[in-house]
Amino acid sequence: MLVSARPLLAHAHKGVTVKLSRRTTAVAAIAGAAAFALIATGCSSGGTTGATASNKPITLTLATFNNFGYNDALLAEYHTLHPNITVVQNKAATSDAAQTNLFTKLAAGSGLGDIEAVDGDWMPKVKQYASKFVDLASTDNKGRYSSWKTAGGTAGGKQIGLGTDIGPEAICYRSDLFAKAGLPTDPAAVAKLLTGDWNTYYSVGATFAAAKTGAAWFDSAGATFQGLSNQYQNFYEKNDGTVIAATNPDVKAAFESVLKASATESSHLSEWSTDWASGMANGAFATMLCPAWMLGVIQGDSPKVSDWKIANVFPNGGGNWGGSYLLVPTQGKHTAEAKALADWITAPAQQIKAFKVAGNFPSQVAAYTNPALTTATNPFFNDAPIGKIFIDRANAVTVTPFKGIKYGAINTAVQNGLTRVETGTQSVSDSWNQVVTDIKALG
Amino acid sequence: MTTSPLRGKERTPRRIAFNQKLGRWDIKFSPYLYISPFFVLFAIVGLFPLLYTGWVSLHAWDLIGGQGKFVGSANFLWVLQQQKFWIALRNTFSIFLLSSVPQIIFALLVAAVLDSNLRSKTFWRMGVLLPYIVMPVAVSLIFSNLYGDRYGLVNALLGHIGIPAIQWHSNAIASQFAIATMVNFRWTGYNALILLAGMQAIPRDYYEAATIDGAGIFRRFFSITIPQLRPTLIFVIITATIGGLQIFDEPRLFDQNGTGGANSQWLTLTIYLYNLGWGQLNFGRASAVAWLLFLVIVLIGLINLAITRRIASNEGRKQ
Amino acid sequence: MTMTPLHDAPVTAAASPARARRRRLLAIGRPNPLVYAFLSVVLVGSVFPLYWSLLIGSGDSSTINDPNMSWWPGGNFLANAAAVINNESVNFWRSLGNSVIVSTVVSISVVFFSTLAGYAFAKLRFRAKKGLLIFVIATTAVPTQLGVVPLFIAMSAFGWTGTLGAVIVPALVNAFGVFWMTQYISQALPDELVEAGRVDGANMFQTFWYIGLPSARPAAAMLALFTFITTWTNFFWPFIVLNSNNPTLPVSLATLQANYFVDYSIVLAGVLLATLPLIALFAIAGKQLVAGIMQGAVKG
Repeated sequence: MLVSARPLLAHAHKGVTVKLSRRTTAVAAIAGAAAFALIATGCSSGGTTGATASNKPITLTLATFNNFGYNDALLAEYHTLHPNITVVQNKAATSDAAQTNLFTKLAAGSGLGDIEAVDGDWMPKVKQYASKFVDLASTDNKGRYSSWKTAGGTAGGKQIGLGTDIGPEAICYRSDLFAKAGLPTDPAAVAKLLTGDWNTYYSVGATFAAAKTGAAWFDSAGATFQGLSNQYQNFYEKNDGTVIAATNPDVKAAFESVLKASATESSHLSEWSTDWASGMANGAFATMLCPAWMLGVIQGDSPKVSDWKIANVFPNGGGNWGGSYLLVPTQGKHTAEAKALADWITAPAQQIKAFKVAGNFPSQVAAYTNPALTTATNPFFNDAPIGKIFIDRANAVTVTPFKGIKYGAINTAVQNGLTRVETGTQSVSDSWNQVVTDIKALG
Repeated sequence: MTTSPLRGKERTPRRIAFNQKLGRWDIKFSPYLYISPFFVLFAIVGLFPLLYTGWVSLHAWDLIGGQGKFVGSANFLWVLQQQKFWIALRNTFSIFLLSSVPQIIFALLVAAVLDSNLRSKTFWRMGVLLPYIVMPVAVSLIFSNLYGDRYGLVNALLGHIGIPAIQWHSNAIASQFAIATMVNFRWTGYNALILLAGMQAIPRDYYEAATIDGAGIFRRFFSITIPQLRPTLIFVIITATIGGLQIFDEPRLFDQNGTGGANSQWLTLTIYLYNLGWGQLNFGRASAVAWLLFLVIVLIGLINLAITRRIASNEGRKQ
Repeated sequence: MTMTPLHDAPVTAAASPARARRRRLLAIGRPNPLVYAFLSVVLVGSVFPLYWSLLIGSGDSSTINDPNMSWWPGGNFLANAAAVINNESVNFWRSLGNSVIVSTVVSISVVFFSTLAGYAFAKLRFRAKKGLLIFVIATTAVPTQLGVVPLFIAMSAFGWTGTLGAVIVPALVNAFGVFWMTQYISQALPDELVEAGRVDGANMFQTFWYIGLPSARPAAAMLALFTFITTWTNFFWPFIVLNSNNPTLPVSLATLQANYFVDYSIVLAGVLLATLPLIALFAIAGKQLVAGIMQGAVKG
């Protein structure tokens, strides 16, 4: 399938591969609380705990994608702590490439990294194979995350994924276009203006559209729907995995209301398309839902635009999109060492370093009091206090969306339905009928 | 076949000189020895996957979870009842026709031109092969910029001459045309050079004789080049058929999702099987699609072979 | 593509050699300027993607989204190329070396084994020949996407994953090459030549070596070039079986895209860097290739 050109589903792509080499009992001790905890709690991760680890130098492979912010300095630091462990990172370009790689090697039963990074978007698919991954729960990482992040990495009664980052969502906007439409431009004023539910967001959009600035209010129905759908606990599936997407009135209502707004307020540029990237540079839309990791995308796609700002607000409270996990496949040879590394590299101190390198917003609650995060600003977004904004946005997330086995396939069917209407291929009702048909075909 | 003369030899007196015996073995076994590297390697890298896929297609088989219960033809029946399968089959054919047919005709034209007595032959020959050396990542980037619906170069150019923008992604025909362009761009020069190699092997005397007989350039082309080129033509047509029906990279990279379009506008059979296998992790159904595709290719391949042979032998008889 | 059949006399037998020679100049004189004009148009289309890559690769990260992009290269190519080479996770020299090894070994092997098998299919007589040839062709009709899992299982069983062997061995000979050499040799090598060799007392391999191989040279040269290019640009399988310690160029260059925002000026500078060796190969091998084709023509 070659390298994808434009990043295929570029969101929340990160991949990490760490190779650890060398490990001794002594090293296990140095590894500190993590390894100690393994022994102390007699955790179910398998026989190779620090107690039985040999002196031999070992290499651990850490498979990541996109940019997890794990630079050579960070990996070298681990080597210093554990002289017989060398960590090597295998980077896949995109989340999509990482997904293909992971599933191919899971299917083949070998070849995976000692640690594999998994995107929150396809984590539900991975979770049905919990038996192929090591339980990473330990006393050390207990309470490290907010409950919904922990739930996202838990399957089969085990914590198979340790959270890396999250994607709490705010709203990014173009202050120049707001000024043109006669709307306030100051982030605090914009936040106040947009406080409310999705209808508030759409009705301000209607005002904006009426001003005829030549720009649309938001980028696409699909992106907006994504933000909205992550605010329900059981949107597409019940907790037992029963698919309710076709019958859940919430889904249909959301589908119709987004498309109603889209008719006058959307630029109809599908997320991640070439046109979407160009649209960002050319002022095709004034606002977009903006998870923390989106900042790098906006800056990269429109480096010459100086008017992007961030409003500390999100329709209907809080929402999260994306964020990833590290998993330790049982097929690895050094699962105990890999577990210790995963624990260390997702600890708040290391996550702060990753944030400084790549801007990945920490999922660790303890990081939210770290001055490095609380005082962080972003010059491209007119010195927006991104630390404070996204900590607030993360705290506003209250719902733990249930995403089952078929989440990805259902979401694709619904997103395709939105695209069909936005491109004028089908009417809203025809498109919805096809969504229902497509969902039934998944059975 | 070859055996009767050999058997005859076996009846010669018992005392066969050792080298004579060797010679017989040489004749008998050398052909098998020569083709064996392919078959040995194929057993490992080709046959095993083929049989494995066949085995999988008869089971409920989760890509990761592995083998489930034997279901017989259930996967095949399920696939054949899916509307998407038939859409994918239709798209595969239409993209195939949009790409292979113009591609081969144009390649023949380019090859014929390159076969003439040009100055700086190397330059022109290598020039037409340039698209083939560009890494796929660059090709797909270029074409996604050319065929952007809003900011694409092609629509910008059309705009200059007053033609409304074409919806390259939402319009099924336009999307398939765009994909076919990518395919043709990459493979025309390649096929042209293959055909050129075949043309160069045609004895020049034939053309001289025909010229003397007053045959014009077109008549020479159709009555000498085409029939003489028959084996190479068969090769090009068969490989273009197989490659065309298996088309995967271009439609997959045509948009950011790689699943064949919101309305399955450019969903091909390989994309469909990929969606089933890697998207829904249903390896059993994906394998069933793979086998159906295999059968379709063999069928079309045989039809093409029959047509090509007919054309070429009709022409050939006149030699 | 049906052609109108011709019904007149055989064209080959008519003319005397002397007349033919006299007419040779007339028959294949220099083509007219229109031919060059046509080829120039084709060439412009062929060069376009490389030129466009240069435009982006010599600009900066914003060039690709710039609607008023200049049609003249910018000044950053060397800086971008240096960024590729100095990027530690790209491991440029190592992957360049690996790509050279893999492509060279695969090309030589494919050409040798395909020529051997092609010669056997085209000119030797043996049981089940036709069936076996059809089988060879049918193998190319197997969709490759699904083969990945079983092939990976096989490579893993041999313990080859992560090594160049996992990329080289499955590619050592392919049906495409065998089919191509079969078709070419059957067209270009007259049966009488093979029989003459046998009558002169050459054994089977000598006949292949001194008669089969030389006549196949033009097609072999082309197969070598195509195989080299295909192997050089191949991404998916190497991406699956190799890792970033020991990658080939396309695999390592993919890490340039490992970011939320992809800087395409760097990516395309990398693509151009990876393409330069192929262009050098063209310059060197191109002459050989044309010479080979001409030689084949003289022989026939």
